[in-house]
Amino acid sequence: MTTVLAVCVAVIVTVSVYLMLSRELKSIAMGVFLLGHGANLAIIAMSGSPVLPWGGLRQPPILGGEHLVDALPQALILTAIVINFAVMGFFLTLLIVTARKTGTLNVDELAREEPPEPTSESDSEPGRGPIAGSASRPSR
Amino acid sequence: MTDHLLGLLVVIPMATSIVSVALVGRHTPQRVLGVLSIGSMLLLSLRWLMGIRGGEVLVSQMGAWPAPFGITLVFDSLSGLLICAGLVVALGCYIHGFSTLDEETERRYFHPLSQLLLVGVNQCFLTGDLFNLFVGFEIMLMASYGLLSIGGSRRQMGQAYKYLILNLVASTVFVISAGLVYGMLGTLNLADLARIVSDRVAAGEGLPTGFVAVSVLLLFVFGAKGAMFPLWFWLPDTYHTPPIPVAALFSGLLTKVGVYAMVRTFPLVFAVGDARDVVTPLLAISAGVTMFLGVLGAVSQNNVRRILAIHVISQVGYMVFGLSLMTTAGLAGALYYMVQHMVVKSSLFLCCGVMERHAGSDDLDEVGGLLTRNRFLGVSFFVAAMSLVGLPPLSGFFGKLVLIREGWDVHWWLSVLALLTGALTLLSMLKVWTMGFWLPAGPKSAARTEEPGRLGGAYSGIGLLVATAVFIGLAAEPIYEIALHAGEQLTDPTAYIRAVDPHGLIAARGSG
Repeated sequence: MTTVLAVCVAVIVTVSVYLMLSRELKSIAMGVFLLGHGANLAIIAMSGSPVLPWGGLRQPPILGGEHLVDALPQALILTAIVINFAVMGFFLTLLIVTARKTGTLNVDELAREEPPEPTSESDSEPGRGPIAGSASRPSR
Repeated sequence: MTDHLLGLLVVIPMATSIVSVALVGRHTPQRVLGVLSIGSMLLLSLRWLMGIRGGEVLVSQMGAWPAPFGITLVFDSLSGLLICAGLVVALGCYIHGFSTLDEETERRYFHPLSQLLLVGVNQCFLTGDLFNLFVGFEIMLMASYGLLSIGGSRRQMGQAYKYLILNLVASTVFVISAGLVYGMLGTLNLADLARIVSDRVAAGEGLPTGFVAVSVLLLFVFGAKGAMFPLWFWLPDTYHTPPIPVAALFSGLLTKVGVYAMVRTFPLVFAVGDARDVVTPLLAISAGVTMFLGVLGAVSQNNVRRILAIHVISQVGYMVFGLSLMTTAGLAGALYYMVQHMVVKSSLFLCCGVMERHAGSDDLDEVGGLLTRNRFLGVSFFVAAMSLVGLPPLSGFFGKLVLIREGWDVHWWLSVLALLTGALTLLSMLKVWTMGFWLPAGPKSAARTEEPGRLGGAYSGIGLLVATAVFIGLAAEPIYEIALHAGEQLTDPTAYIRAVDPHGLIAARGSG
């Protein structure tokens, strides 16, 4: 059981690293979300196998019994899932806003558009001449 | 000692944040509410800090679940000092924001988000277990993502991703390492972990396989949050774009929470036994490079905001230097340095905000002659800058003195680097002072002489922080005394463990 989980975690982390190395923000976002799932699976794997060495399964704590599943990792994962979900919502919103504002989700293009700053710079400082810029500058 | 009111430090900002969301658009009630919230927390934590001057530890178990099972909040000398400093910084930045934030930013949830940031920061400082440290981090980061992208200009969008993605990856690694720790040692309570680890080392059993790897993973996580040497690249750009009160708040709180997490967890748990031989050299090397390259970066810059932002990195190096010594006085020095740095750095950022108001830019070529135009700003900036450099009567001096003297025996080369860094800090601060305040304005800035508008809030914020910085310098002895208690509690965790678990439940469970 733990071996299967370990293989799953390895595959998920590999895929997510591959996605995060992309230049496209959408893929990076997917990579980050996948990494979160990989982390949750890793915690499950660390909580030990639910199969007892002599056969049979561990019981959920609410049912009682002699051999119980450790409930704490599951509580941790629940918390982590909620946090991941919130972060995912924020990230996707940011992607939409960025796409609307800049028309691109490519990392290179976002970086390239940064230095000249056509909109804000030209508003505040037309001409960059010694005198031209002074009169029209809005008071902040 | 038990004090169940400790939870208020998390509850008050949380409640304020929720109420404040309902009041969006109405600035005056939001502002009053915010100041009331931060002010009441500050008073509460100052009272508690006065109560634990003798090195006591205040503990509160949430829901009265005993230590290793429930959530523990701990207010000891380390977290107490940092909470007080953090709240002073928050109050200063908040008041400063009244006159420097534009309408748009304030309407877009600045008030709820800044309260939420405090929820996260306070929880990180208070919490007694590793997983809640993660939760605190996440709350703080969610609020900071929001604050960072308020307004949503194109520049902010580009920079926000760098910060967002790095922190998301670091947080995921944090969850994985918390899971690994739980799998190895069966607990996440820091006091419990500290006891297990020290018992195993004392018994000569050695630590579980992979423990060192987890320590290094956590070093990566906290290093990324604290902007240490190989992981600092996100910081200058991040602090360059947001509105000034937000940048000041970030510079005072965010990286320091990362450093705090290291100071809390490494001496207690993750740098004990074999792990110490791996983690300490890494910390020492990283501290040296962070200090020195950071200050070189700052010297090369010409924008006030960038200079200040890169100085944050360089100063983080000093704190990590103190941590890497792992001695009582070294840790105390690091703590004292953190406290004074939070206050001083934020006040410098706030001064920079007023400079921008006067000159319309923070480019040193365009700023000039501010001393004759605004004496208060000039004096405040000078005092704060000299505290940062570490001139004797001011606060930075005592921090550096302790660190350099303590480090001399262990890593003399680090102390030499620290002194060199101090000299270069002086150089870059004098550059800002000379070009911005002392020399008359250059030809480029001749036109920029509009009245900056009403700045009462900004001056009160700066005044509060600079006065606190001077106070920390003049009252170095009592504050260092508290820091020394924190150092003792970190190097010898028995008091911490006993306070968290007065009935010996942890020990009983371990032997049973």
